[in-house]
Amino acid sequence: MSGSIIDLSRQAPPDRIAAEVCIIGSGCGGGTAARLLAEAGHEVVVLEEGRDVIGAERTQRDGAMYDQLYMDRGGRATHDLSVSVLQGRVLGGGGVINASDVVPAPEGVLRHWAAKFGLEDFAPERFQVFQEAALDDLSASRIPEELVNLANDKLRQGATALGLRGEVMRHNRVGCRGLGTCLIGCPVHAKRSPRMVALPHAIRAGARIYTRTRAVKIDKASEELKEIKVRVLDPGGYHEHAELTVRARIVIVAANAIASAQLLLRSGVGNDHVGRNLTLQPQLPIIGIFDERIAAFDGVPQSYAVTEFEEEDNAEYGLWGYRIEGIMGTPGIVSTLLPLSGAEGMRAMAQYDRMAASLLLVPDAPSGQVQVARSGRLTIRYAQRRDHQERLRHAVENAAKIYLEAGAKEVLVPTLPPLTIRTAGDARRARELGFEPATAPLISAHQQGTVRFAAHERDGGADLDGRVYGTRDVYVFDSSGFPTSASSHTMTPIIAASRMLTSKLLTRI
Amino acid sequence: MPSTPPEESAREGLFSFLSRRRFLKAGVVAGGAILGVGGGGLLALRGHAPSVKGLRALDAHEYRTLQSLVEAMLPKTDAVPIDPASMDLPRAFDAFLADEPKHNVEDLQKALVLIEFGPLVFEGRLTTFSRLAPAERAEHWRAWALSDNLLRRQVSIAMRKFLNLVYFDHQEVWPYIGYPGPSMMRSTAR
Repeated sequence: MSGSIIDLSRQAPPDRIAAEVCIIGSGCGGGTAARLLAEAGHEVVVLEEGRDVIGAERTQRDGAMYDQLYMDRGGRATHDLSVSVLQGRVLGGGGVINASDVVPAPEGVLRHWAAKFGLEDFAPERFQVFQEAALDDLSASRIPEELVNLANDKLRQGATALGLRGEVMRHNRVGCRGLGTCLIGCPVHAKRSPRMVALPHAIRAGARIYTRTRAVKIDKASEELKEIKVRVLDPGGYHEHAELTVRARIVIVAANAIASAQLLLRSGVGNDHVGRNLTLQPQLPIIGIFDERIAAFDGVPQSYAVTEFEEEDNAEYGLWGYRIEGIMGTPGIVSTLLPLSGAEGMRAMAQYDRMAASLLLVPDAPSGQVQVARSGRLTIRYAQRRDHQERLRHAVENAAKIYLEAGAKEVLVPTLPPLTIRTAGDARRARELGFEPATAPLISAHQQGTVRFAAHERDGGADLDGRVYGTRDVYVFDSSGFPTSASSHTMTPIIAASRMLTSKLLTRI
Repeated sequence: MPSTPPEESAREGLFSFLSRRRFLKAGVVAGGAILGVGGGGLLALRGHAPSVKGLRALDAHEYRTLQSLVEAMLPKTDAVPIDPASMDLPRAFDAFLADEPKHNVEDLQKALVLIEFGPLVFEGRLTTFSRLAPAERAEHWRAWALSDNLLRRQVSIAMRKFLNLVYFDHQEVWPYIGYPGPSMMRSTAR
């Protein structure tokens, strides 16, 4: 029997829904689990707070798309506004609004997890089969040369001239037309995201997917039959207008490392590890300004990465060092990242078509925390550590040299105060950047940790099956479980981990 | 309707940082100083704000503060010779707020009070933001971004996040920044 996508904001919701398995979140983790469980014959419902925004509704416009595709209308941030926390809120989750980068968890990271945290199932020789399956799900391939736009090529030119290692990245696009707005949804569905792969499979196998549904509490988490309290949102996703209860024997939370922990905390489910060990991988944009027209808004926004400075087997943290990756956004979002407004801001934006920008992706130590107040309000506590600031300074200095080598007339570091670098000698000034709170437009697109997988309850929030300690069949199947940064881009590791954990679950049910 | 209270308090908003305890404390201290020192007399500094029809979340004073802010943040320049008043960004802001949880709206309203009385609170000048001359206002607002005071930087960032995003999403701006518009729109136009 075929399932369906049901937008509960547009019909009278039932009081109750029953299923064998309830999955909260429809992204890489939840979508993958839904598919595998439904295909194995289990009765699955998926709850997704976002809506199914497809085709022409993906307007490529900043205002509407950040409003409809991102959590908190694009406004989510850490407690002191130092880091913007980007999280999808749409059917298909983060896979709909990411840069389509396919970067499996490196072997060094997997060995680190197995050795330090006892995650034997993630050891390279065991996890490899799931990573390969994830690559198949994603139709992963190297980005073809014709889709490497001039902005990314400038990064490559500069890095190559300086003798720095880099690569054209792998992606999950099929039939890409280089429309340029990957971060606010592809209007022609070139991304092989969960929306286009896992969820259609799940639906064909009978899964029911309820959109505009916000799971707010899991009751009876230690009993056989769990009750999930759900609020139904209005069509815009702004207000709650009805409620219902989902009853299920198995609950899989896969709502992203922030929202999964938030739900568990609000439910009073799990041990003291829940919410802790958050990593954000904060990234800093840096902008090369050229005399020539770059038109970075056309083509694949992110196709080249300088990998020279990346470390994949750091003894303490696994993934370390940093990467420099090309990027571009639509005018609205780019303007919000510039340091100043007023006449200076207008002058900077007037150079929009001559910008080639990068994100300096610097993995961080697990140090943040998701907290939920008695009122239910979320706080993401995060303080940038000194080691992160130090690597970020190095990254700024080297990225500036790369763009200058590629012919940039100047490089803008969008800190407060702004730093403009015009010569390689100037680049040393990056060493003086203070990175005080709310002085740099740091962005997090890869939240991880918060319900760390661990062999023993004293060391983490969920066991090696993904089961939340202290519960009966309540699981986390997303990046919440990763004890440190899995990869510079988390889509592939999340799909692989969900595949592995679901396959284990299927042996028990 | 839900039989139990809505859980929207769990929802974050673009201005949710403004609700942090620290901000509230600072906002209350600043507001308290204004009210305590000068009482109604200082509040009268704001003067009369012309009424604005059709607002859903903001009042006329808040609308005027936002108008003044837009003029400071997104001025008509040689590079982008567009009068931001033609876009009525405060009304867009009002529409945005109307769909935000009540606590987010209240947080923002506190921030607008702080902005309006910024010249008094942070510079000791007996005037308000909206009464500053355009050049003074631009300079005053620039100081928020570069301030040592975290709260002022946060307010500056939050305002930029919303107003810039909406302003540069306007089609009439694009020719001045070399943006030909969304690629699908271009292919349809061909």
